[in-house]
Amino acid sequence: MSSALNDVAKAPLPILQLVDVYKRFNEFTAVSGISLNILDGEFLTVVGPSGSGKTTLLRMLAGMEAPSDGNITLRGELINNVPAKQRPTCLVFQSLALFPHKTVGENIEFPLKVKSVPPAQRKERALELLRMLRLPESYYGKNVMKCSGGEKQRVALARAFAYDPDVLLFDEPLSALDYKLKKVLEKELKDLHRESGKTFVYITHSLEEAMVMSDRIAVMSAGKIVQIGTPESIYARPETEFVAEFFGEVNKFPLVRDPERGWFSADTDSAVTLTLPDSLQGAQAATLIVRPEYMRFASAPDEFDNVIRGSVFNEYSLGSRIQYQVRCGEKSVLIEIPRTLARDAALDQQVMIGWNAADAFVAEA
Amino acid sequence: MRTQAKIRSEFFIRSWAAFVLIAIYLPIVCSALAGLSKSRYFLFPVRQFSLDWWQRTLASLEVQTLVQNSITVALLVTLISVLLAFFGALAFARYEWKGRKLYQKLLLLPIFFPQAVLGLALLLWMNALGITPSWRTAVVAHLVWIVPVVTLVIAIQVYSYDATLEEAAIDLGAGRLFIFKEITLPLLWPGIWSGALFAFLLSWGNFPLSLYTAGADSTVPKWLYSKMVAGYTPMVPALGTMSTLSAASLLLLGGAVIAVIRRRRQK
Repeated sequence: MSSALNDVAKAPLPILQLVDVYKRFNEFTAVSGISLNILDGEFLTVVGPSGSGKTTLLRMLAGMEAPSDGNITLRGELINNVPAKQRPTCLVFQSLALFPHKTVGENIEFPLKVKSVPPAQRKERALELLRMLRLPESYYGKNVMKCSGGEKQRVALARAFAYDPDVLLFDEPLSALDYKLKKVLEKELKDLHRESGKTFVYITHSLEEAMVMSDRIAVMSAGKIVQIGTPESIYARPETEFVAEFFGEVNKFPLVRDPERGWFSADTDSAVTLTLPDSLQGAQAATLIVRPEYMRFASAPDEFDNVIRGSVFNEYSLGSRIQYQVRCGEKSVLIEIPRTLARDAALDQQVMIGWNAADAFVAEA
Repeated sequence: MRTQAKIRSEFFIRSWAAFVLIAIYLPIVCSALAGLSKSRYFLFPVRQFSLDWWQRTLASLEVQTLVQNSITVALLVTLISVLLAFFGALAFARYEWKGRKLYQKLLLLPIFFPQAVLGLALLLWMNALGITPSWRTAVVAHLVWIVPVVTLVIAIQVYSYDATLEEAAIDLGAGRLFIFKEITLPLLWPGIWSGALFAFLLSWGNFPLSLYTAGADSTVPKWLYSKMVAGYTPMVPALGTMSTLSAASLLLLGGAVIAVIRRRRQK
């Protein structure tokens, strides 16, 4: 087989396509004109604050809600009104929705029982799935309500896999777990995605979860997707203030274009060197956003494109990193540096902090 | 000091509990004793005990008919009321629909009706419709009062039932009937059992509705009353005691069944 053909075969095709999809509940518009291609085999995470419409979006993919407007297609076929039971999708609920009167084994076997698979075969598959999800086989006969939070999570996943869907949908399944377990399961989920090769669509309001697991992240706000891209691109090049702030702490400087001094920050009383995006070429005002970890202590005023002076107000240890709050007049600025680079910045010490224009981004004012 | 106060308060709590229990059960014990007396008349304290009246009660053809009537009515009421109340409870507690609030209020209304008034109203209706009252009409009368109670009992179980389970089952490809059999029914079993138990016991012990609507047919409570009014015999307390004991054992049995269901679930 020629390599060109190979490339074509490997190029990910959209498995689910949304074209201008709306969902209205009476007066309320939950999803407001979303167009999105979900690629076959990708791990797509939809993040957004509560009420941004992400759960409604997911329920439309699962077939539990029909769109009010627009089209959803699965491998090119319109599925707007195909009910959940006929779709090759499976939703892992926030509550997990495990059947409390059934054992772990019976829960996993449920979709197989629906398809009238003989009991012996069902059990074989259930044990296989238990192994795949790193649960002991002895759990087969265990009461599912006696399992711990993490184990329940795995049982719910095993049940979803037993259905053998093409697309797995996740509705914040980790949100109720403690931090440590969450960290473990995030990685397991990503490994499981790799092993199974299935398409995962995951929704969460947690930036951390999204960053760890996703191939692509879609950020939702007020029923719309405001930005979509790889975790790196969204983190490093947010297109709006909303996205920037949603993805961690930021320093914001309101800027105005001064006829004499050019772009100017009133907060720090200094001119600012910046790279203006095309969309803001003619603008007279803008907001400069710099993430704390792109800021550094400067030893000379010309070490970075921009350097401002201030005094250290406080320091916060973040484990492997340290954050400093520096007060530049009325304005407080956060700097975050790796512990290995940490310089002893005594409280109230006068310091210079700087950043390069390439590491900052400019959003509409 | 603290422990002394604690001992004292515990003593009061126990004495009060004992008093309440005695106040509730003493009259029942008294009537049980009356049935065990050798005497033809109700005398207290009992001078000589005997099982004569129990034997006569068990042998009496009249009593056998009564018990048969009561059991038939209670079983029919149980069956029909559970069937109606099960779906009624789903409409009451599970589904959102237009008019649900009104339905909930209308359904509960018969419970607050004095049963004597309800019985009279039903009798008037039957008269108007030209139906001769018998144990069959008593079944209908019992249902009017018992279906709401059973609906409430089952609705309590339905309220604690997570509807996402059904959504999850649909998502896993299951059809309505399969879900009903595999998810809905098993999860609501304890509620259905309690409802059935309530239905049977409430019908078994019901007097005012039977009095008005059973016509010439008699039930156990109706007979007990009529014999007290005229023609007392110690068979009255004897049958009363038997009736209480069988209701209590049924309750215990039902409780045991529910406990088994729960335990099997928690294995």
